[in-house]
Amino acid sequence: MISRVLPVPRRLDLVVLSSAIALSILGILFVASTTSGGRLAGLAGRQALWVAIGIAGMVAATLFDYRTLLKFSLGLYLASLVPLLYLLLFGERIANVRSWIRIGGFQFQPAELAKLATTLLVAYLFENEDDARLKAGTFVKLAAIVGTPFLLTFLQPDLGLALTFLPIAAVGLFFGGLPWRGWVAILLIFAAVAGGGWFFLKDYQKQRIGTFLNPDADQLGAGYQVRQSKIAVGSGGFSGKGFGAGTQSQLRFLPVRHADFILAVIAEEWGFLGVILVLSLFAALVLRSLTLATVARDRGGVFLILALSGILFFSVVINASMMIGLLPITGIPLPLVSYGGSSVATTFTGIGLILGVEYRRFANA
Amino acid sequence: MLKVRDDRRRLSRRIEAARVGIGAVFALLATAYWYIQISRGEYYFTLSENNRLRSVKVTAPRGYVLDRKGAILVENEPGYNLQLYRREARDLPSAIDLASNVLQLPREQVQGRVKRGLRDPEFLPIAVAENLSIEEVAAIEARAPEHPEFAITISPRRLYKRGVSAAHALGYLSEVSPEQIAKAGETTYRVGDWVGQKGIEESYEKLLSGTHGERQVIVDSHGREIAEEGRIDARPGENLFLTLDLDLQQVAEDFFKDKVGSCVALDPRTGEILVLVSSPSYDPNWFTRRVTRKEWDGLLGDPHHPLQNRAIQNQFSPGSVFKVFEAYGALAKGMVNPDEKVFCPGYATFYGRTFKCHKKEGHGWVGLRDAIKVSCDVYFYNLGRRLGIDRIAEIAAGFGFGEPTGVDLAYEKNGNVPSEEWARTKRGARWYPSETISVAIGQGPVLVTPMQVARGLSGLIEGGRLPTPHLFYASQDPATGEKLRYRPEFKQGLALDADKAQIVKDGMWAVMNEPGGTAFGQHLTVVAAGGKTGTVQVVGRETSENLPKAKRIEDHAWFAGFAPVNDPQIVVVVFVENGGHGSSAAAPLAHAIFEKRFGKTPEEPSANGLVRASLPAGDPR
Repeated sequence: MISRVLPVPRRLDLVVLSSAIALSILGILFVASTTSGGRLAGLAGRQALWVAIGIAGMVAATLFDYRTLLKFSLGLYLASLVPLLYLLLFGERIANVRSWIRIGGFQFQPAELAKLATTLLVAYLFENEDDARLKAGTFVKLAAIVGTPFLLTFLQPDLGLALTFLPIAAVGLFFGGLPWRGWVAILLIFAAVAGGGWFFLKDYQKQRIGTFLNPDADQLGAGYQVRQSKIAVGSGGFSGKGFGAGTQSQLRFLPVRHADFILAVIAEEWGFLGVILVLSLFAALVLRSLTLATVARDRGGVFLILALSGILFFSVVINASMMIGLLPITGIPLPLVSYGGSSVATTFTGIGLILGVEYRRFANA
Repeated sequence: MLKVRDDRRRLSRRIEAARVGIGAVFALLATAYWYIQISRGEYYFTLSENNRLRSVKVTAPRGYVLDRKGAILVENEPGYNLQLYRREARDLPSAIDLASNVLQLPREQVQGRVKRGLRDPEFLPIAVAENLSIEEVAAIEARAPEHPEFAITISPRRLYKRGVSAAHALGYLSEVSPEQIAKAGETTYRVGDWVGQKGIEESYEKLLSGTHGERQVIVDSHGREIAEEGRIDARPGENLFLTLDLDLQQVAEDFFKDKVGSCVALDPRTGEILVLVSSPSYDPNWFTRRVTRKEWDGLLGDPHHPLQNRAIQNQFSPGSVFKVFEAYGALAKGMVNPDEKVFCPGYATFYGRTFKCHKKEGHGWVGLRDAIKVSCDVYFYNLGRRLGIDRIAEIAAGFGFGEPTGVDLAYEKNGNVPSEEWARTKRGARWYPSETISVAIGQGPVLVTPMQVARGLSGLIEGGRLPTPHLFYASQDPATGEKLRYRPEFKQGLALDADKAQIVKDGMWAVMNEPGGTAFGQHLTVVAAGGKTGTVQVVGRETSENLPKAKRIEDHAWFAGFAPVNDPQIVVVVFVENGGHGSSAAAPLAHAIFEKRFGKTPEEPSANGLVRASLPAGDPR
């Protein structure tokens, strides 16, 4: 091929890079908008710092050969489970959930790191599979790899964070070639587990699901958040109330407006246009990543991109659906935009990995 | 070297499928947001406006109530209310405990109010209790660090400075009822408003309450004000000056401390109410403070019904007081010659039945004047028979009996004036002539209120001109200080030549000032006063006399008087339930009021009949 005679080109995908950075800048802007003044002032600066850390992580992940990472993925994976176990046993509860570790003045969610490690291990798992159909052995391995951190996070108990592990498994099953009978079986098992699991859910989780099913029954309790969020989104109209002029968010009707509900703030202040902007940026990010996956040099790279963009897509859809009451409130942030250091940093690192696969598309091993 | 590419056809097809799926999901999301933001945008915009814009009522300060000389009877003081912001509460049960401990309220009561409040949106504060004392406010605020959910608000509270005094004239405030809101129209009252009940608080509600203002404020999700968008100022209520004379009122209230009954004093020339007492009384402050269940039950369960305004709601037979109206009426209708004498042997027989005079030995020959003075029953039996019940009814109506006096107080009773027509239509049993004999001395189905007697007597001494009694003296706009005086209203009753009317007045003068008069013991030296006693039998005379003394039920005592006789300035009516005889139970209060008004009677050298000397020049006869 021509590339043989040319110097090996290093390709940086500008679509993925620029949409990720644009989203994170939107995030900083709206964290600033909702937290100006009051006890949350200063969060925007903190978010900017995290974005900077994330970008540094992204650059590192791009430059570092993902193939090396895949080779050591089992070790990385096992190492990432240690803090999860530690948390479960000795963790300090923040908001009744043990999912944070404090390092210096910062808090960090080890589950975010575990997510990256799990992605790497799954990609490694599929590296040498053919694409005919999913083998039983691979299925069991996949279930074990994803199931372990899922369970550990679920027990913290942080249902929202745990759920973000599921798209990794879904990606493996779908692209690994699970036959339709397999999907039916999994759905049945899920239904059974969900039915049985109801008894193990914490009260607040049950309440949230109940509220989702019938939000008007509890307008003042758990239904309050959904209701206020819908009012925020709906009242934004086509072009919004203007930056910093959202009454729902500025007057604190919205709960955790700078974190999980940031999209509602954008929807209120920038209206439908703002929502379309955010969704378009994510669509560009995800769809472009899929394109990169089709041309990736090796299977490990393909699955790495697929799993990473799967997580991204899943989080965006869940979060955006939560805002308008299409799904129950589960505490899944909007990647890159919501306030939250570990989420921003790991998402950027993941994007670095995607960029890295493309970066090395024509490189020799 | 490049590796030979592995077979990726299936994988690529799956990725293509995923791409379509992902695109579809994003499109669906965009559609959902379109629906909420564009199709339903206006609806949610209204909701968000309602979320942040709140109209807050600005309560107009209620007007003060003062007596005719400007002494404050009713004013406003700051009242402290306790509110709870649910979202600030870390532990609701312990907050309820704190409130019930500090306020000494039953826990269930506090819990009940909090529970009711839970139905309101979360950001609205829950009203836990009103009218906290300063000590209670301090106790709550001391706990603020652990209980940030509590907030104290201040709103004006009605203060009845003299407590039980003149309570029936003043009335009280209570929270407006849903029925009252509906009746007055939504714009007048809102839930939680206080509205005047009874007394002048009710009669002059509009004047006193002023007009509420309104503020449009922007609030945050805690309901805390952030900014004011606009306001309509409240128009304060007008101050109300009452006709009451507190000095005289005090005398009457002291008299009634241990008695049940009422007292009304009017200025016969204008209808101004100088004294209005109904005993037992109540403290109107009870209603604006927190009334405990026990207090409330005590008030309602009191057999003497303290909330009743006896001056306008008690209907009793007038007893012998009725005789003066009858005498005046008979003169006016030309049915009696004042010099004509009737022999009283102590009893008389009509329609085959014997009617006793209150004096067993009889009064001998008596004319009109002396019949009033000694209250001779036999004289009035004969006069009554001559008049007949329908003419008596006409006379009574001429003095305003049987109809409301038009006093500026609600819930006034009409009393009753019997006639043949009344017997036929209302009672459903025909009138017996023998009943006329009873009515002739103010017994039987003739019923009057003390206020009616006061108005009637005013008419009697003012040539038949009946004034409308009123408590309204003047109103004052608190902003301009401009005063509006009341213009007296009258109704013309039975007219009578002054010289003939003088005979009745003279008879009443004699009651108090001549030996043998039924209230001779109550004569005054400083002013010539006249009056008439009355005694209403609670049970038949025979029955009563046959009862053992301890079990005897005392009669009701009436006294209706006026002074000075030749230039009447004040009419006093006293009614004492189960007080005994009018001369001993009721007349002393009239005496005390006259004394207070016209000066104290000097120590008399002796009670030897020098009283005539006190009659001023211009002898009423």
